[in-house]
Parts: sequence; C-alpha cells; structure tokens
Amino acid sequence: MLTDARLMEFVRAQRHDEAIALLLPAFRRKVFGLAYSFLRNREAAEDVTQDVFIKVWRALPGFDGRASLSTWIYTIARNASLSALRARRPQSSLSDPEVMDAVDAIDTAAPAESTVERAALLRLVDQLPTKQRQVIMLFYMEEQSHEEVATMLAMPVGTVKTLLHRARARLSAAAGN
Amino acid sequence: MSTRDSQVDKHLEALFGGLDTAPDFDARLMARLRAESHTDVAERAIRTRQQERLRYRKAQLELQSWRGSMLRLLTLDTLGIAFFLVVAIVTAWPHLNRDVPDLSRQYVAYIGTLLGVLVAVVPLVGTWLERTRGPVSLR
Repeated sequence: MLTDARLMEFVRAQRHDEAIALLLPAFRRKVFGLAYSFLRNREAAEDVTQDVFIKVWRALPGFDGRASLSTWIYTIARNASLSALRARRPQSSLSDPEVMDAVDAIDTAAPAESTVERAALLRLVDQLPTKQRQVIMLFYMEEQSHEEVATMLAMPVGTVKTLLHRARARLSAAAGN
Repeated sequence: MSTRDSQVDKHLEALFGGLDTAPDFDARLMARLRAESHTDVAERAIRTRQQERLRYRKAQLELQSWRGSMLRLLTLDTLGIAFFLVVAIVTAWPHLNRDVPDLSRQYVAYIGTLLGVLVAVVPLVGTWLERTRGPVSLR
C-alpha cells in the first residue's frame, strides 16, 4: 500500500520512476476525475492527468513530505485543470454528443441505461452550479468519501456535504424522484 | 444526508462510477517520462558545458585582472621610487659639491625611512585601489 513514508523512501533514494509507478495506480483515477470535473471533456482531462504526473515526477526531488502527498498532488491537479480550462475555448458541456460517446465508452461495466435517460441525467448534472457538479461527479466516481472529495477540491467537509445534499435534491426534483 | 439509496444515486453511480482513463494511459505516460528523462539528461549536459565555459571565461578574466593589477602595482612602485629619487637628488644636489660624506651621514636616516615607507605603502595603496574597483563581471 502506498504511504507518504514509503514514497519518501523512493524520493530520498532518487528512484523517481519507481515512485511514479507507485503513485499511478493510487492517484490516476482520482486525478483524472478531478480534471474531468473541471474540464468536462475526457481527452482534455486525460491530457491534464498526464501533465499532472509529469509535473509530479519533475517536482518529486523537491517533495519534502511536509504537506501530505494527496494534498500536494490534488493542488497540482487543480492548478493544471484551471490552466487548461482557461486555455480551452469554447467550453464543452457534459451533455455534448462527444461527451456522451465518451461516457458510453468508459461506462460499459455499469448497469445498462438507455442513452436517452443517460443524456437527460447528464444534462441535469450539467445544469448544476459548478461546485455542485464537481462534488457530484467526484463523489459518485469512485465511491469517494466526503473527506476525500473535500481534499480534492480544497473545501471543508461540511461544504462538500451541503453541496452534495443540494445537488442531489435538485437532481431528484428534476428527475421526478 | 448522503446515503446512496435513491434511484438518482444509482443512475449517478452508473454514469460516473466507471469514469477512468483510456487503457493505454499508463504506457503513454511512462513513454513520456522516459522521453522527458532523456531530454533531462541532454539538457543537464548542455547546462554543465555552459557552466564550465562560463567558469573558464571567469577564471581567464580574473587572471588577466590579476596580471593587470600586478603591472599597476609595479608601475606605482616605480613611480614612487622615481619620485623619491628625484626629491632626494634635488634636496641633496646643492650640498653635494661641498661635503658629500657629511651630507649622506646627515640624511641617511631620513632617506632610509622614506624609502621603507614608500616600499611598504605603495603596494598597500595599490591593493586597496584594486579592491575598491568592484568584482570582475562577465558580460
């Protein structure tokens, strides 16, 4: 299991490639999800995720372990996502056909949903305020805890709970649940 | 507040639960890291060569500067000694014809002291002037 102490051992031994190999399985999906929650585009999120790990690899020699590993990586990921977001014009939305295709492509293991229902739900999520949308996506992406989502978005846990509650209430009302 | 039991929760889990990178993501990343690593090595080699070149030029300039200061010191020394000799000759000349041995006995202490002071002070003044000129800078 990856711990900050174990990573620091690799960093001190200058074994950065091994450190990245250790980080990837633990953080790849989380970083991708975080980038996706900002960018709402799978390819752009993948590019940002790659850039984030390259940045982490470059910065590893300077990582002193004072901040926790996850906080450090999520900060890099948020900054990279925001930079990519600023650079991207025009912005796509979750309910764009290309995003729908991408979600279909990555969601083959999930229970079968009709494309219409999926599109409708995506459209509803897309209409949520940015923070609510991000919390919803990250919370449901990988069974994340409130604490993990709070760390990813650099928000207090209470705020995450409130945003999640409001977003679910809004989605339930809109879906007629 | 956030239990996952409603229909919306199930739909959301189905939508976002499988969100992941493409299967070749890790391989692409490792390839990029390898490429970065090679670039890094090449960049470091170029940087090292540039630093070595700079260090060599700096050392050369310092050496030239040292030679220059030595020449300046020698010139100052020479000037000091020449000045002392002129003063000594001009002072001594009117008395020289009358009684050279008496004169030399009378002034030998002053002449010796002056010569010593000049020899000691001139290099010190030269060194001080050299230090106050500021460090050697590369263009």
